[in-house]
Formats: sequence, C-alpha cells, structure tokens
Amino acid sequence: MTTYSSPSITVLTTHCIYFDVSHSEQTILETQKKVWALAQLCQQSGDFIDVVPANNNLTLYLNDPLRLQYWLSALNEHWLEVSLLKFNSTHHKLPTRYGGVHGPDIKHVAHYHNLSVDDVVQLHSSGTYHVLFLGFQPGFAYLSGLDKKLYTPRRSDPRTSVPKGSVAIGGEQTGIYPETSPGGWQIIGHTDFKLFDINAPSPCAFAPGDTIEFTIKEVLS
Amino acid sequence: MITVVKPGMQMSIQDQGRTGSRHLGIGQSGCIDPYAQIICNRLVGNPDNCPVLEITLGLAEIKFDNDYYIALHGTDMKATVNGNPIQPGWSYYIKKGDVLKLNAARHGFRSYLAIGGIWQLPTPILGSYSTDLTAKFGGLHGNALNPGDSIDITPQYKTKIGLGAMLPPKSTHIRVYEGPHNKLLSKQSLDKFTNHSWHISPSSNRMGARLSSDECKLEHALSLPSMAVMPGSIQLPPSGEPIVLLNDAQTTGGYPLLGTVIEADLRHFAQLKPGDFLHFEFVSLNEAIKAQQKLTSHLNQLKIALEYKNKQ
Repeated sequence: MTTYSSPSITVLTTHCIYFDVSHSEQTILETQKKVWALAQLCQQSGDFIDVVPANNNLTLYLNDPLRLQYWLSALNEHWLEVSLLKFNSTHHKLPTRYGGVHGPDIKHVAHYHNLSVDDVVQLHSSGTYHVLFLGFQPGFAYLSGLDKKLYTPRRSDPRTSVPKGSVAIGGEQTGIYPETSPGGWQIIGHTDFKLFDINAPSPCAFAPGDTIEFTIKEVLS
Repeated sequence: MITVVKPGMQMSIQDQGRTGSRHLGIGQSGCIDPYAQIICNRLVGNPDNCPVLEITLGLAEIKFDNDYYIALHGTDMKATVNGNPIQPGWSYYIKKGDVLKLNAARHGFRSYLAIGGIWQLPTPILGSYSTDLTAKFGGLHGNALNPGDSIDITPQYKTKIGLGAMLPPKSTHIRVYEGPHNKLLSKQSLDKFTNHSWHISPSSNRMGARLSSDECKLEHALSLPSMAVMPGSIQLPPSGEPIVLLNDAQTTGGYPLLGTVIEADLRHFAQLKPGDFLHFEFVSLNEAIKAQQKLTSHLNQLKIALEYKNKQ
C-alpha cells in the first residue's frame, strides 16, 4: 500500500485553509492525483466558494467562516480516505500543426537536443499530459508529462506577443497559450483547439486532473 | 444613458467580482472597496451588488442623458454638478444634460459612483459585471472606459433622496494574519516587515500594491511550489519588496507569502496611492473576525436607518 506523508494544514485567513502535501515522498503526479480527488470531495461538500489545487497543495475558500474548525479537523481524515477511483476527468485530443510559421522555435529545440524536427514532433505528440492545475492567466494549464529529452530553457529574449493557441516548451514543461500574450517559452506548434472562451457557459476546456494528447495535424518545415 | 466625457487616470465598471472559477485561473476583480460600493448603491436605491464606476485619481467627467439619482463614495474628489459642489456620501438628484466633474483626489485615490437604475450591460461573465483589466473581459468591452463610451442605465427612483451615510474610517495601519511560510522566512525578515513603514510604489495597479522601503529589503532565495493566491496575499519576490495582491491578481503564484491582509482591512488599499506610507501588524484570527463583524454591523445599521428614513 502506498503511504503518504502527513499533510501540513494552515489557516490563511478567517475563511481560507491551505492544505500542503508538497513535501510528500511520492512523485508530483502521484500526489497530485490525490489532491484532485480531495478537491472534488471538498467541491461536492457545498461548503466552499472556491477550491483551488496548485502544485501539490490545495487552497479552500469557505462560504461560512464558522465551518473553519470543522474542516481543519476533518481534512486529514478525508486525505487518508479519499479514493482515487472516484475521480472523474476528461481526455482531450489537440490536433497540432508543428513547425513552420506555427512553431518558429522548433528548429532551435531540435538543435539544442541534437534531434531532428521529426524526433521533436514524435516525442512531443506521443506523450500523455496531465493538467496539474490552472493559473498564471485564465485557462492556462500547468501540464506534467513532458519527455526529459525535450526539456529546453526559455528564450533569453521573451516575445512581446505569442499567438493564442501556441504550443510551447518552457524548461521542464509544455503548455498552450489560451490567449495572445507576452511569453518566453519556445514555440513549437499551434492548435486551433479552443482552450478558453470567456463567453461560453463553462469558459475553460480543461479542468485540473484532465489528460491531454497532442495529435499531429501537419508538420511544416 | 450616461456618457464618459473624460475617464481620468482609470475608470472601470465593477461590482463585487466573480467567485467559483479560481481553479480555472479566473480571478476575482470587483471594487477594491466593496463597502463604498454597497453604501453608495444603497443611497440611490440599488441592490448591493449593482455595478458602480470605480474612478481612480479623478480628473474625470460624466454627462447624464436622463434624470438620475446618484451618489459618490470613497475619497473626496471635489466633485461638482454643473459647477455646484456635491459631497461624497450623499445622494443627489441629477437632471438630464447635467455634467458631473471630478477634480484630482488629494487625500485618497479612488471614488465610487452609484447611479440609480438598471444597468443594461453585456451579459455578466461568470455571474459578474466586473471588468477584469488584466485578462480583459467583463464590463462594457473588457477594458477601462474610454472617452465617448456610453452606458445604458434605465433610471429608477426607488428611495428618498438627499440622505447621507458614512464610510468606516480609512487607515494606513494594515492588519495581517500570519502566512504559511513563516517558518521558512527568517524571524528577522518578519520583524523588519512590521517594524518599518513601507510606501506604495508607482508600478502598483489593480493587480497588486507594490511596496518599497528606503530602510529595508527582505531579500531571499526561496523557491516554492506554486500555490493559490488571492486579494490580500502578501507575496515576497526575491527582490525583497513585498506585493499585496489586489482584485485583478492572478490565481496562483510561487513566491513565499509574508501573510494575508485581514479581509476588513483590504478596503484601505482603495485609497492608498503611489508614495503613501503604510505599516503592518500581525494580529490573531480572533481580531480578524471581530474587525469583519464590525464592518458587517456598520452595514446592518445603515440598512435599518435607511429603511426607517424611507418610511417617514
């Protein structure tokens, strides 16, 4: 049976609890799977305005500060009991155009690792990525699962404008820009998949815990 | 309808902001001083969460194409209607064609304008009309208001006019509840944080109040896993100059937290302008709860008083 280190639980303010398991001995992804399951349990309790998972931690915003003491004492038990099996998530396939005008940095990434552009495309599109959490800007997903062979430092000179839908690598992570914004990641491709539409009833395509796969739509030279 | 003739430094449509989507990276937005918003809305007979205009620094001008009840609250911008002075905290009856002018704020930074009636705005986003100036959505067009922008407001005259209501006093003494990283930061840093006064730096905005001090910096080399942040979170970047996150802040961050501004004191950041000094004090959770109860009872008393006046 997998054992988990005991979480650290702190009060941030009258209606806010911080649950931290980032010191866990498990891998980030293994721990995060349990964090998602705990987040879902908390969400379903109806006691919270917001339940926000981040990097192996969870922040809980209470509707009623009078429930603070209850949750402070109950969280540990829920953490021990929460079942990974009950967690529901969605798998997304993102058709991606790699290289060319859509991926101006793919040659740099290939060169950096002594790989061909095709190798980069194969490595990147063969992985299954987990949405660890969202943040930085609306709809931006922090993904785990990038092949170590593709870890590439960010650009020394960040771009002032990266087009919406750009698929990029920044250090040990890969990600997709939900909106056109400044950015320093290496752009390797582009997807038309709509990540974020503020006017839609549920504006964000991804939720924490979802899985993602990039499928090859086109490779341009 | 009302038309923005001059928006001044920044004028935006805000209500109490959006909740329930922080896990998708969508922040809160909303009035930095929600109490000013609620009080001026009540003075004109609007529901508490009706949108208002948040006006920063002043030097603004608005033209009214209808008869309206209006009330300003927040800092005094020496407002006039057709040249006649009007006071913050009082409701007025404005005639069609009248022009409201706001001069520069001298002792504060933000003023809130409530206009009695139904605001005909684009469909609210995730339950709120607030403009998210960072992510660029909400309000009229996702941005601060420009000269010539018009807002369609169907007037309603549902309350007695000429009534006044005080705002709880402002302060530069900010109470803070301890953060989750107090054991990682040195005791010396935490002492310095509360023993020195800080000033608001010019690069501050609705995302955050950036602080600096001539006397001290709290440099560190800590790198932490990202965690959720919210309005009131006091981030400490490696430069050692703290940032108090405000309503348009992002939802996650990786800097250590010095603490969280207690909910009751967050409103003070509406009136702190670049160059203003402030200082911090760590308080107990109990004090944070009591401060919040005090504000809630202030609003409850106002509600009773207004109901009584309206029956007279």
